[in-house]
Amino acid sequence: MRKDITPKSAAGFHTNALAFVSLILIFILYAFSNYAPGTLLSNPKLQIFKTMFISIVLEAMPFILIGVIVSALIQVFVSDETVQRMIPKNPVLGIITASVLGIIFPICECGIVPAIRKLIKKGMPLHAATTFILVGPVLNPIVFWSTFTAFRTRPEITYTRMGLAFIVALIVGLFVYRFVRTDQLKVKDTSSSEVHQHHHDHHHHHQHHYDAPKERALFSNKCIEVMGHVVSEFFDMGKYLVFGSLLVALLQTFVANESLVHLGSSQTSANLLMMGLAFVLSLCSTSDAFVAQSFLPVFPTGSLIAFMVFGPMINLKGILMMLAVFRAKFVALLAIFVFVLVLSGSFLAEWLVFH
Amino acid sequence: MRKINADSIHHFTRAFILLGFAVMIGYLVISGQIQLYVVPQLEIYLKITGVILLLIAIFQLYISIISLNKKVILCDCGDDHSHSHDHSDGHNHDLPRGWWKNIAFYGLFILPLLLGLALPNIALAGSLVQTKGIHLGGASLSTGMKQGAFVELDGNEDPELKAKFKTDVYNKDYAKLGMKLYQEDTIVMKDEWFIEKLQALNTFVGNFVGKPITIKGFIYREAGMTGTEFIIGRMAMTHCIADISPYGIIAESMDASAYADDSWVSISGIIEATDHQGQKVMKINVEKIEPADAPEVPYVYPDWDFASKL
Repeated sequence: MRKDITPKSAAGFHTNALAFVSLILIFILYAFSNYAPGTLLSNPKLQIFKTMFISIVLEAMPFILIGVIVSALIQVFVSDETVQRMIPKNPVLGIITASVLGIIFPICECGIVPAIRKLIKKGMPLHAATTFILVGPVLNPIVFWSTFTAFRTRPEITYTRMGLAFIVALIVGLFVYRFVRTDQLKVKDTSSSEVHQHHHDHHHHHQHHYDAPKERALFSNKCIEVMGHVVSEFFDMGKYLVFGSLLVALLQTFVANESLVHLGSSQTSANLLMMGLAFVLSLCSTSDAFVAQSFLPVFPTGSLIAFMVFGPMINLKGILMMLAVFRAKFVALLAIFVFVLVLSGSFLAEWLVFH
Repeated sequence: MRKINADSIHHFTRAFILLGFAVMIGYLVISGQIQLYVVPQLEIYLKITGVILLLIAIFQLYISIISLNKKVILCDCGDDHSHSHDHSDGHNHDLPRGWWKNIAFYGLFILPLLLGLALPNIALAGSLVQTKGIHLGGASLSTGMKQGAFVELDGNEDPELKAKFKTDVYNKDYAKLGMKLYQEDTIVMKDEWFIEKLQALNTFVGNFVGKPITIKGFIYREAGMTGTEFIIGRMAMTHCIADISPYGIIAESMDASAYADDSWVSISGIIEATDHQGQKVMKINVEKIEPADAPEVPYVYPDWDFASKL
């Protein structure tokens, strides 16, 4: 069905990599059994790992569910046209409106990236779309709330996270408006635009060919539609959450905090380390505050801000998804630009707010 | 009736994973073991989450059963595709395309469920300290402190007492708590305000030298600790296990060698001051030490709002 080959192979690679890493992790777990398989279960490290892993998953679960449900509701009840009508022609106003939209719609990058592709096709300017992609995962009520809960004692951390994300998104939006040609979509072939437009849910698309009218009648209920989205998004988002929790649990179990402190002993290396971690972990922004919070005693606050601003904007998972939409060059440019801005912004924040 | 197809396998797998999470949360909440994973404040969220997961699981089970007979299309995907269940991964509807991918994908969700089944829910206390490093003075609480002019507290307390607890504005709450502790005959380190008391005692350790103290906790020994010295510690949880960090007090007892690492003891003794890695911290000169049972929930929780309750 899919004519658009590149995104498919990019995604295929992504899943393969995920599967590969998972298998390695399972192997690592087995490697700790040293002797007989029975000793594996009584290994104290495994017990610690299990408790960590389940605890992180459990703790993030309510936030993931809220995110999934709200995003499913929006997907079913709010049309793209409504969103598009809200973007003014003026670039600055457009960027600001896009960030406000990003604030209103609590969708993770997992939800934003595919939606944005269509929005651009329908005439949403690239700079506004870019701002939306960057703002959406960070600046929204759910992320604000979860960050606020995670850092209850230090509300300034939440404000700094939100503020820095907003500034970075605005600057990047203006930069894109000024310096980047608008046509950055991966696929330029307009003759098959209908197919490309649907590439992200082509499965449904092709299924309609079978005996769509009957099935559509069966499931035309909006409520069921929402539930269906909730389930599919729960798994789509959940896999990154569970995988992230797995990595974090492994890190927490086997890597002593002291060696981490060593790695991140200077401000620069701490910021770089946390940004690298954010990139690799690809955590959902609704739960990353809790992960960041567990590093609070070890790392300078500025580096946690870098973690929580850079992670939701640019991460392994997000980059792969963006590659399915934009040209590789544009994605690279975006990543580098956000990286530089967040790094300098977090230094500035450390110096201004936390010092 | 069609034969069992790939779609049905997907739907059923998802239904059972959702059900698994709902049951796991339900079991933990009902048995009270949830406290071994998250702080009490989060319990209510997890209760709601468990119920919602159960509802979704039932829905998904219903879909699975229907999918045995016909193809299921969940959304009315007409021309307007604004949905983002994008998911270029293709695991959505075509299982045969990648068995390994699907096994890895669902395995990821099944792993925590299996681990939950295979291993008992136990508390993590001492054994984790090795990777965490213990806080002796509530160090993480004092990170935001700045040097400033020392101020006396407001209030009607004895002026002499207030003079003893002069501090900068950022430490005012601890000064208040310290004054309260100072007026007690014996300082009892209970679960409530464990970290706050520790911080208050360490901040004004000079004022507390010679005071009796009682405390219960696990034994931990830092590298280089002599035979009679150990640390008596507690684990503090802010949100979940991922953020637990140990807090403790140095103690000295002639009988120390009789107690193994991680074992729980009750101690009573006299407060002293000592230098530890360049910091002035308190130390307990132990008068009485005896084995104790580990509490069922061994964690202490920071109470960020303690000052308003004083």
